[in-house]
Amino acid sequence: MKKVYISILCTLLMHVWVASSWAGESSLHKWSQKEIEILKGLHMGSLPPLRKDPSNRYDQVPEAIALGRKFFFENRFSGNKKVSCATCHPENMNFADNLPLAHGMGTTSRRTMPLQGVAYSPWLFWDGRKDSTWSQALGPIESPVEHGFTRTQIAVVVIRFYSDEYEKVFGPLPEIDIDKLPLQAKPSPDEPGPLKAWVTLPEETREAINRIYVNVGKAIGAFVRTIMPTPSRFDRYVQAIIDGDVKQAESILNENEVRGLRLFIGKAKCINCHNGPMLTDYDFHAIGVPDAEGLPPDNGRAEGIPKVLNDEFNCLSPYSDAKPRQCRTLRFMSTDVVKYRRAFKTPTLRNVAERPPYMHAGQFATLHDVLHFYRDMPEEKRPPDLAHGNLTDDELVYLEEFLKTLSAPLEYFKE
Amino acid sequence: MKKTLYILLVFLFLGGCVTTPERQSVAKDEHKEKFTKHYKSSMFKVTEKGLYSVELVLKSGELKKGANEVNLIIHDNKDRDVVDAEITIQPWMPEMGHGIDIEPVIEEKGGGLYHVSNLVLTMGGHWELRVGITKAGVSDMAVFDFPRVGGMKMKHRHVKRPDKIDISTVQVSENRTYKVSYIPEITPVRINTIHSWTVKITDSKGNPVTGARIAVEADMPEHGHGLPTAPEVVEELPGGEYIIDGMKFQMPGWWVVKLHISSPVGKDTVTFQLDISR
Ligand SMILES: [Cu+2]
Repeated sequence: MKKVYISILCTLLMHVWVASSWAGESSLHKWSQKEIEILKGLHMGSLPPLRKDPSNRYDQVPEAIALGRKFFFENRFSGNKKVSCATCHPENMNFADNLPLAHGMGTTSRRTMPLQGVAYSPWLFWDGRKDSTWSQALGPIESPVEHGFTRTQIAVVVIRFYSDEYEKVFGPLPEIDIDKLPLQAKPSPDEPGPLKAWVTLPEETREAINRIYVNVGKAIGAFVRTIMPTPSRFDRYVQAIIDGDVKQAESILNENEVRGLRLFIGKAKCINCHNGPMLTDYDFHAIGVPDAEGLPPDNGRAEGIPKVLNDEFNCLSPYSDAKPRQCRTLRFMSTDVVKYRRAFKTPTLRNVAERPPYMHAGQFATLHDVLHFYRDMPEEKRPPDLAHGNLTDDELVYLEEFLKTLSAPLEYFKE
Repeated sequence: MKKTLYILLVFLFLGGCVTTPERQSVAKDEHKEKFTKHYKSSMFKVTEKGLYSVELVLKSGELKKGANEVNLIIHDNKDRDVVDAEITIQPWMPEMGHGIDIEPVIEEKGGGLYHVSNLVLTMGGHWELRVGITKAGVSDMAVFDFPRVGGMKMKHRHVKRPDKIDISTVQVSENRTYKVSYIPEITPVRINTIHSWTVKITDSKGNPVTGARIAVEADMPEHGHGLPTAPEVVEELPGGEYIIDGMKFQMPGWWVVKLHISSPVGKDTVTFQLDISR
């Protein structure tokens, strides 16, 4: 008994913030009305119903989703017939490899992004250079270090192996003599050979290939948009709190996890950026993460802004099915390249503990490193919204314990 | 007399930064030789056709997000003051190919001095100020480059949230020119949701104001950052109503939204505050 008393006393002294509202251990689970409002905001129950992607007319079309799933795992969509979307987004790892830098035919300069809840994200990639899942899916295919493929080759593979399934979803394939197509043809400004081969194709051929390419993207995009988180222990805890069932709540999260949660929404101010049910604000922030060793400086969003504005497959492009007024995200995008220099997208924290290493180039191996990075940032370098209070070592442990409560299996179209 | 007034005005403007207006010859370039820089702390440019020199002095010492005040001092290639010229000034984002749809107020003060106010930048970033000069039917232009407007300001660290925030959706503008109200497309306004505001503007007598132009500036004063979007007016409705689209708040907390309004009635700024819980 005395031992228990002493340990409680120690906790009390070490964590003054607990002391302020302390009245027996159960008070840890007592949340003010304002705090409950905040918790509700983070709870999965506040995920709005998913609306159709207006830029993709095949979104939520079951046949397109099923075909998209096949395309997602299609190794023939690569230069060495070994790389598919699933190479960097493996199904058995919550669709995110745990490598510092994504690896396809070669090595990229960024870490693979998680896919759960991506349907809610207005921007894709760490720098937001794409504004839909379907246009995002098309980027890696033509990247020499990812699929190492071309849109022309995609058209050939689709015509050879997928013509029936394709036509069922998208209508008749165009007449293209695939035996006469130059396979290394794509509008890539960095690759003069394939670029020349592409621009010398007749316009109708280019248009026909682009249509097939875009439809492949739309099928993959429709599939990827089915990948969703499921309620985690954290969500079940919040539900119990909303229901006023403290006993139930106590059985879901332990004391340290709840202490971490209190820090997360309070003193540590994590919800400045990790807010909403996906625990991200979908914005881009320059938090001063050092460049990864051996990589050139990365300007992040500042370079993503002109890219998405000029993207041949953006929401306002002829390949998008959206009306211009439905492209609000792109039309009203902030073009402040100063604010967004070296800024990267806030990732979701759902399943974060399952997903080391961290940051846009996997600079930190563990959550422990990430939390220490945030705390130890020198004040003169720290933007005001990154002030995390003067967290103690114990508090960092509580935060880490809390972050582990955000793990849960994913839900997605499985056949 | 005019010259004295001009010196006096510039003096007042520079707030004693410069003790004497000094003449610094700008040599080298052939047609620049005809021009003289008169003020030490000004930015100096010769116009594209080489007709004029423009000196630009920023009141706050730097170009910033929000409303700016600028003095332009213009000479011709014989170093004479340029008076009675038609001056335009257009803020421009070169990478993005867009400017701001609000007219600054330009007043000629005499002696080649033109005072510019209400020069509103709605966001930070790479800006140019494009100064147009038209006289006797001939136009010329000078472009001033500001590669980094509104980087992170550490002073925001000290902006504390007031105890009471006036979250009323009806406000009178700073100089009482307008009464403005807004209705958001979503209530309550919640984070991470792009939405529009319908804004109604009346003059001091309660008459609806039509043909107004509105520039939107929004900030989290505690954090020193703005919106992730660049909202703008997409439609004017009858009865002095305007639809501003592209509003999106990405953090819970205290937000300050300023609408810089210009119409035939006048130019003024109205401020709304929001306290967004989630
Ligand atoms: Cu903020």
